[in-house]
Amino acid sequence: MHEKMRDEALEEIAAAASLPELQEVRVKYLGKKGLITQQLKGLGALSPDERKTVGQQINAVKTEVSEAVEKRRAALEREALNRKLEQERVDVTLPGTELPVGGLHLLTLVTNRLTDVFRSLGYDVVSGPELEDEYHNFDALNTPDWHPARDLQDTFWTTDGRLLRTHTSPMQVRYMEAHTPPFKIVVPGKVFRNEAVDVTHEAMFHQLEALVVGERITMGDLKGAIDEMATALFGPGTKTRLQPSYFPFVEPGAEFAIWWRNPRSGEEEWLELGGCGMVHPNVFKAVGYEGVTGFAFGFGIERLALVPYGIPDIRYFFGGDLRVLEQFRGAL
Amino acid sequence: MNLPYSWLQELLPDAPPLQETVDLLASIGLGVEQVFTRPAAPAGVVVARITEVAAIEGSDHLLRATVDDGEQTHTVVTGAPNTRVGLLTAFARPGTTLPGAGFTVEVRDMMGVPSEGVLCSPKELDLYDYAGGLIAFSEDTPLGRELCELWPEETVIELELTPNRADAFSVLGVARDLAAKLGVDYKHPAHGLDQGDTGTEDNLRVVIDDPEGCPRFTLRLIEEVSVAPSPIWLQRRLASLGLRPRNNIVDVTNYVTFELGQPSHAYDRADLVDNTIVVRRANEGETLVALNEAALEFSSADLLITTPSSEDTSGDGTVPIGVAGVIGGLHHSVKADTTAVALEVAHFEPVTIRKTAKRLGLSTDAHYRFERGVDPNLPPAASARAAHLIAELGGGRLHPGLTDVGRAKTPETIDFRPSRVAFLVDIDVPAEQQRRYLEALGCRVEVVGDDHWQVTAPTWRFDLGIEEDLVEEVARLHGYDHIPTTLPAMHFVPEGDDATHRKLRDLLVGLGFQETINYVFTSDDELAKTAAPEAQVKLLNPQSAERSVLRTALYPSLLGVARVNRSAERLALFEVGRVFVEEEQERLGLLMNGLWAGGGWLEAREVDFFVFKGIVERFAATLGAEVRLEPATHPMLHPGVNATLFWQDEAIGMIGQIHPEIAAAYELPPTFVAELDLPLAPGPIGFREIQRQPYAERDLAIVAPRDVPYARIADMITEAAGGYLVWLEPFDLYEGAQIAAGQRSVAVRLRFRHPERALRDAEVDADMQQIVTALAAAGYDIRD
Repeated sequence: MHEKMRDEALEEIAAAASLPELQEVRVKYLGKKGLITQQLKGLGALSPDERKTVGQQINAVKTEVSEAVEKRRAALEREALNRKLEQERVDVTLPGTELPVGGLHLLTLVTNRLTDVFRSLGYDVVSGPELEDEYHNFDALNTPDWHPARDLQDTFWTTDGRLLRTHTSPMQVRYMEAHTPPFKIVVPGKVFRNEAVDVTHEAMFHQLEALVVGERITMGDLKGAIDEMATALFGPGTKTRLQPSYFPFVEPGAEFAIWWRNPRSGEEEWLELGGCGMVHPNVFKAVGYEGVTGFAFGFGIERLALVPYGIPDIRYFFGGDLRVLEQFRGAL
Repeated sequence: MNLPYSWLQELLPDAPPLQETVDLLASIGLGVEQVFTRPAAPAGVVVARITEVAAIEGSDHLLRATVDDGEQTHTVVTGAPNTRVGLLTAFARPGTTLPGAGFTVEVRDMMGVPSEGVLCSPKELDLYDYAGGLIAFSEDTPLGRELCELWPEETVIELELTPNRADAFSVLGVARDLAAKLGVDYKHPAHGLDQGDTGTEDNLRVVIDDPEGCPRFTLRLIEEVSVAPSPIWLQRRLASLGLRPRNNIVDVTNYVTFELGQPSHAYDRADLVDNTIVVRRANEGETLVALNEAALEFSSADLLITTPSSEDTSGDGTVPIGVAGVIGGLHHSVKADTTAVALEVAHFEPVTIRKTAKRLGLSTDAHYRFERGVDPNLPPAASARAAHLIAELGGGRLHPGLTDVGRAKTPETIDFRPSRVAFLVDIDVPAEQQRRYLEALGCRVEVVGDDHWQVTAPTWRFDLGIEEDLVEEVARLHGYDHIPTTLPAMHFVPEGDDATHRKLRDLLVGLGFQETINYVFTSDDELAKTAAPEAQVKLLNPQSAERSVLRTALYPSLLGVARVNRSAERLALFEVGRVFVEEEQERLGLLMNGLWAGGGWLEAREVDFFVFKGIVERFAATLGAEVRLEPATHPMLHPGVNATLFWQDEAIGMIGQIHPEIAAAYELPPTFVAELDLPLAPGPIGFREIQRQPYAERDLAIVAPRDVPYARIADMITEAAGGYLVWLEPFDLYEGAQIAAGQRSVAVRLRFRHPERALRDAEVDADMQQIVTALAAAGYDIRD
C-alpha cells in the first residue's frame, strides 16, 4: 500500500511542470493534511509492534518523497532561471550608450613626454608669461636694441611697448632673478614670431627651454642632457650632434641634432632640433650671478610632433578641426 | 649667402671635394642651407654680333636686326630696347629650346619678315633674372662660340650664416675659416696689389664730419674708363650669387663685396663738385633719390655721403649723393658716358648703418655687411682689389694716389686662460694646439704668465671680445664632436609644481573633453561679437586685422572651434591658455553642446545646463573642491542661464549657456561654456571617522516665489536646522495648478544624524519645527 502511494507520489512529482504544480503535489502528500501525513497520524491506531514497522515504512516513503520534491524543485528553479536568462539575452553587437570621448592635443602629449623625461632627470618644470618686456626677452639675454640677432626673431610688439615673447628664454632670466643656483629647470610654453605663415611656419608655436646652473656645469653636461633626452624619446643608441652656432645669450653656442630613424621614410637622418650653449657671462651679469657656469638649450615642440607623425601642415595644430585633433587619443 | 664652389676653390686650392667641404663648413658653424646647381647656358645658343638694325614698317617697336654668328648672317626680328649695331649678344638658332622662355626657337614670319632665330634676354636663357633687354657681352667674347662652353653650370653652396660671423660673409671669409680648420693656406685676392700712395696728389678731397660714424674713408681715382658689359666669367659669378650684372664698374664693386666682404661704391668723378666728398649726419628732412629709384627722406641720425652744392639750403653747403653704407644716389653713380670713377671704399659704424637701413626699410648687400661688421682695416686692400679689377676690365688708368682719411683700428687684447677650454667645454686640448688654432684664425697670441695669454683677435673678427669667445674658437676648430657626454653633479630638489596643469588636463580628458590650442590673437570685432571684455593689449605690427589684439577670454576661441566642427553630433572641448586682461591670466575654458549621452538606437540625452553643471561639479569633486553657483549677469551668457562660479568659496569665473544671439552668429545649437581662472585651489584632504549612527529622514515641500533660488532656501534650512542636519537634497520641483501662479514648490529630503547616538524623533521634530518657522518667517509656505 505504501509502495503504491510512493509510486504515485513520485510519478506526480516528476509530472509537475511548474513550481506551483510541484507545491500542490507536495501539499497533497506532505502537507498537514497530506496523504503521508495522514498515514503517520493513523499510526496511533496500530499496535506498538505494527506501529514500529509501519512507521518505519511510512517515514522511508516520506523521506523519499521529500527528497524527490526538493530535487524536482531545484530542477524547476534552474529551468525558470534559464528561461529568465534567455529572456534577458541582449544583442551585444549593438552600439553602447555614446558619451563624449576626450583627448589631449598632440602638442600637449609631446610636451608631457618631454617634461616626464626631464622630471625623471631631476629637473623642475616651470612656466612664465607670454606677454613679455623687452628687457627679459632681449636686453637681459645679451641682445641689445641694435643687435642684428634681433632680426632673427621677427617680433610682435604691442602698442604699449611690450612684446609677445619670441622664445621661452626670458624665463631663464626670470627664474634666475628669483632663485639661487644650483638648479635644473625646463620651461615649456608658447612663443610668437611675426613671420609669414605657411606649412612649416606659424605665428604662434611652442618651445621647451632647459637651463642648468651650478658651480661647474660644462658643455659635456649639456651634451649629456641632450643625449638623455634623445635616448628617452627615441630609444637606446640614439646619437646626438652639436655644431657651432650662435645665439647671443650663450657662448660657446651650438645647434643640436638627433640621429634617428624617421618612422615614415624608414631613413636614418639628422633631425635638426634647436639651439644650445653655455650661458653667456653677460646673462649671468644681468641677474647678478657670480662664480657659476651653466648651460641652456631650447627647441620647437611642433617639430617633434610634425616630423614623427608626418603631419603635412603646422596650421592643423591650431585649426581646431576635430578630425585632426581626435587622431592622437591613443597616445595618452 | 651664395658661395659658388669654383670660386671657393680659387681662393682655397686645397678645398676638399664638395660634400666634404659642405660637412666641414657645418662643423665649423658656417651652416649650409642647401647645395644647388645654376644651369649652363642652353645648347644651341652662340655669341653673335648685331651688324645692322632697321625699323620694320607697320611696327612701332619691332626691329629687323642682322646678326653675324661668326659663320654667316641671319635676319632676326627683335623688340629689345637695347638692340644696337655692334652689340655682342646671344643668338639662339632654330631648334634651340630656351629654358627661361619655355619655347623652342623656330623660323617665324613676323610682320612680313622671316626671323631666323631669337636674340635672347638673360631671363630667356635662364642665366639671371632680367628680361628688360638682350644679354650684353664684353668685346673680348669670342664671336660664334657656343655660349654653354663659356657659361657652364655652377655648383653653389648656400650658406645660412649667423649674424655674429660677419667675417664669413664673403668668399675670402669662408676660405679663411676653412683654411684654419684644415691647417692649409688660402689666397688673398688683394695681396701684393699696389694700394695707391697717399702722398700722391689726386685732387680728390674727403672731409669726415663724423669720425665716429665713419672711422675710415678711401677714394681711388680711375681715369679713361669706358663703361661696357663685364666679361662672361664675371657676369656668371654675379649671376650665381643671385645678382644682375650691369656694367664693368658696378659689377666689380658688387664682385668685391662678395669676394672680400667689403662693400664699395663708384662715383662718376664729374658728379663730385670740387672733387669733394663730405661725410656727415643728415639734416632732418633732407632727401635723395636712391639707386633703386626710391625717394628717401632722412632724419638727423642718418649718415650721408655728400658733395658741395650751391643749391644746398641747410647750411652745410653740401647735398647728399649717397647713404653711407646702405645705397648710392641715382644721379651720382656710374653712367654710360662716365670716363672717370672715384671709388669709395670706407668703413662705417654698424649701429648707425643698421638704424638707418631699418628706418628707411632698405636691405642691401652693403648694409647687411656693415651692420654686422666689416673689417675696419680692410678698405685700402679692398680698394686696391676693386680698382685694379676695374682698370683691367674697363681699360681704365689707375691713378697712383690714394685719398685715405681716418685711421687703422688697433684691436684690443683679450685675457685668455687655456685651462678655461677644459673647464667650460670639457675637452682636452693641449695649450700648444690651442695656440695653433688661434693663430690659424689670425689671432696674435702672447704668453704673459702661467695659464694666462693675451690674445689679439684679427680686425675681421668682430665677434671675438671675451675669453668665452676664444674658448668657442678653440672648441670649434678642435671639433664639437670631441665634447664628452656627462651629467651634472648637483644637489637640487625640484619643487615639483604642476606648472603645465597636467592633472587637470588628464582629468578633463577622462570626463570626455577634447583639448584644443588656439591663437592668443583675435580682433576687436570678434571680442565685441562675443560680448567679451574689450582688448587691453593691441599689437603694433599685427599680421592682419583678424589677429590684431590679444584675447581677453578663452570662450570666443572655443566658439570658433565649435563652429569649425558644427557638423559634429556632440562637442566637449577645453583649452588651458592665457588671456590678457588687466594682468596676464591663465585660464581653463570648457564648452559643450549637442548630445551628452545616448543617441542612435538608444534614448538621447542632450547637453543642458544641468548636465554641464554636473560635469563641472564632478570635475571639482574629483579635485576635492566644492563649487557653488550664484545667478549672475555675464553679458555673453543667456540672461536666465547665467552664473558666477565659486570654487572653494572664491569667485573664479563664469558658467552658463552662451547667449542665443551669439550662438546664432556662430551657427551653434544651445551651447554651454565655463571659464575659470587657474590655478584651481585643491580641496582639503584629511581623515574623518566613519559615521555609524543611523540617520533620520524627513521630507519637506516649500512653496516660494519661483525666482527665489534653491540655494537661498537651502541656506535658510541649513542655518535653521541646528547641528544634526547632515544632508539636504531637492527631489521634486513643481509649478502648476495646485499652487498659486508665480510660485514654485521645492520638495527636499533632509537627513539628521547625531555623531554618537541615535536621535530621538522628538529631537528631529524640534529641528524640523525650527526649519518650518524660519521658512514661514521668510514668507514661504509648507505644502502638506
